[in-house]
Amino acid sequence: MKTRDQEYRELFMAEALEYYDSMSRHLSELERNPNAGPALNELFRLMHNLKANARAMGFTDLGEVAHHLETLFGLIRDQERTFSGALIKVVFAGVDALGNMIRAVGADQALPDATALLDNLDRLVRGEEPILEEAEAAESEEESGKKMELSDLVYIQVKKLDNLLNLVGELVIDRDRIMTLAQEIGNPALLATAQHLFRISDDLQYSVMDARLVGVGVLLNKFPRVVRDVASTEDKEVELILSGQDVQIDRNILQIITDALLHLVRNAVSHGLETTAQRAAAGKPTVGHLTLSALTERDDVLIQVRDDGRGIDTEAVRRKAIERGLTTAAAALDEQGVWALLFEPGFSMASKVTDISGRGVGLDVVKMALDSLGGQLRVESQLGQGTTFTLVLPTSIAVKGALLVEVEERPYAIPLMHTDTVLALQPEQISVVGGMLVTHVQGQAVPLVPLQMLLHDEGDELLPFADKADMTGAQQVLVVNYNNRRLGLLVDRFIRQQNIVIKPLSKPLDTIDLFGGVTLLGSGQVCLVLDVPALTRLFLTKRP
Amino acid sequence: MAETEVPTPITKPGRAKPAELVQLIVFRLGDEDYGIRIEQVKEVTVTPDVARMPKTPPFIKGIANLRGDIIAILDLEERFRLRPAGRPIPERSYTIAVEAADYVLGLMVREVPRPFTMPLSQIEPAPEFVQDSSTRDKYLEGIAKLPEGGVIIVLDMRKLLTPSEVMRLPGKTASS
Repeated sequence: MKTRDQEYRELFMAEALEYYDSMSRHLSELERNPNAGPALNELFRLMHNLKANARAMGFTDLGEVAHHLETLFGLIRDQERTFSGALIKVVFAGVDALGNMIRAVGADQALPDATALLDNLDRLVRGEEPILEEAEAAESEEESGKKMELSDLVYIQVKKLDNLLNLVGELVIDRDRIMTLAQEIGNPALLATAQHLFRISDDLQYSVMDARLVGVGVLLNKFPRVVRDVASTEDKEVELILSGQDVQIDRNILQIITDALLHLVRNAVSHGLETTAQRAAAGKPTVGHLTLSALTERDDVLIQVRDDGRGIDTEAVRRKAIERGLTTAAAALDEQGVWALLFEPGFSMASKVTDISGRGVGLDVVKMALDSLGGQLRVESQLGQGTTFTLVLPTSIAVKGALLVEVEERPYAIPLMHTDTVLALQPEQISVVGGMLVTHVQGQAVPLVPLQMLLHDEGDELLPFADKADMTGAQQVLVVNYNNRRLGLLVDRFIRQQNIVIKPLSKPLDTIDLFGGVTLLGSGQVCLVLDVPALTRLFLTKRP
Repeated sequence: MAETEVPTPITKPGRAKPAELVQLIVFRLGDEDYGIRIEQVKEVTVTPDVARMPKTPPFIKGIANLRGDIIAILDLEERFRLRPAGRPIPERSYTIAVEAADYVLGLMVREVPRPFTMPLSQIEPAPEFVQDSSTRDKYLEGIAKLPEGGVIIVLDMRKLLTPSEVMRLPGKTASS
């Protein structure tokens, strides 16, 4: 694995070399036609970018030369200097010097000295004549040193990577199949080949996934501006702290959560944080703090939006929920349960809740984005202290850990992201409460439902009243977790845990939201991947 | 296409005249022969492992993996209520992968489907009243009379099963 520094350096090199090539091209054009406006503008822009990049990377000498050239091109653009005479020579020498410096960076050598060049550029800027000494000798020497360079970096369309990843997914499925067959047949040569194929495709898969990883920074770094804008319209003072920009994540996942994150950040500034006066009155520092951070936790990437604002007024949300008739059980819900209501699509429409709680507008958007990724949302809040939203995201969408369960002799996969615990319960550990099966997990009451009932009951009617009568022996229960709600699914058998490649369902099957897709097992069997959010919603609408 | 002749009347199919030919894939549903234009058929294969798909109407047998595509497998006998009594789909059945609307569907049939070529003129438009009134799209392209006396009912797959039709849930349609 490369270090982050190396990767940045390579990116810098690729871009710098590209800039250098364009500079040479535009310069030649400018020489032919000194009035070529577009070429001049382009040169100015390229110098500016190169300067910024070089300074950011710590190559100050390179940045200096680019900066001087930028200034000079600015003057030419403003027609205070003309692209003629000695100036041309110095400019060409300057661009050549840039090329040499970029090459030196690439070869990890000390940058060549540019004092004389900088002096000459300074003179030109001041309107003096440059001192051209030993120009001839220098030029011939440089001529021999010039090489054609091709960048070590390839730009690639995300679409092409997507396609590559899909193909690898297919390969992995077939690989598992071959592996299973080889084990069944038991031929040692076949088995050895299958194992080799296994390793290679594993490496291939991780290489492709690696190629799609980008730093979270590419998204986070866009937020200072967003926060500034929202803060200034809201007339609030906000200090944004970013961290964890280097955390790597699949580029498509970033794309999918862009809107969600934007929402959370805007919400935090406009609703979460108080005005300066309110903060002062509450005895808090007048400047509100907003932290956007990314970190890794096992295989997941966490992105947190934390503010030190007013926090969620749980009781107000509870009152609203009951008022709106969203749930009759709101009174009994714990804090987490109440906050989960904020992400219900209908709930967030209520502007009044927003005013009281400071949260809610469009939070269902956040939830939807996360659901589509199989991600989770965690909320922590303390009244008067602030709120933290944590997006729990998979590193890659390609492969997911899943638990395979069996119901009526068919396998189903449930993404590990949503699984909580696995239990084997004796009938006496299960009670019937209000027509529902209930057990206690870690002191919390968790409703149970036979998975087969959720899957096979096809009408709109409610689930039948639960009955323990025909329950014998240990019951296999998979506790899933969605939006801070736990639900126990009774299954026939646990098969195993496995990494799966999820294929989306195509039309017209994609209208059934109970399934997040399908996967193919090593045996060639088609296995449906259950969508825990949809299952939970189905259970809520159908519980007796 | 090259020679244009005076078209022979539909009722008297020309024998020797070069006529536009259609190639059909013919299969049996119930006690009748049905045909689909070969252009609408992607492939014919022995029915692969079918996974039951909950929340779908009974005529959808489930989903199967067909060379990497996950497709829905339909039982048209059940869909058209043509199932002869006491003749369930055999263990080994065949699946015709067809391109419907903008996706692929698998049709499960009991016998090996066979190709069949005939002049286009032999297909007569189906009488209006034969069309299933519950479907807005007219999915019968026509009825072909065979010289030896039988008929082939030609289906237009592009119109046969719209997504809403395929996915209608029994719980919702039963009441209507």
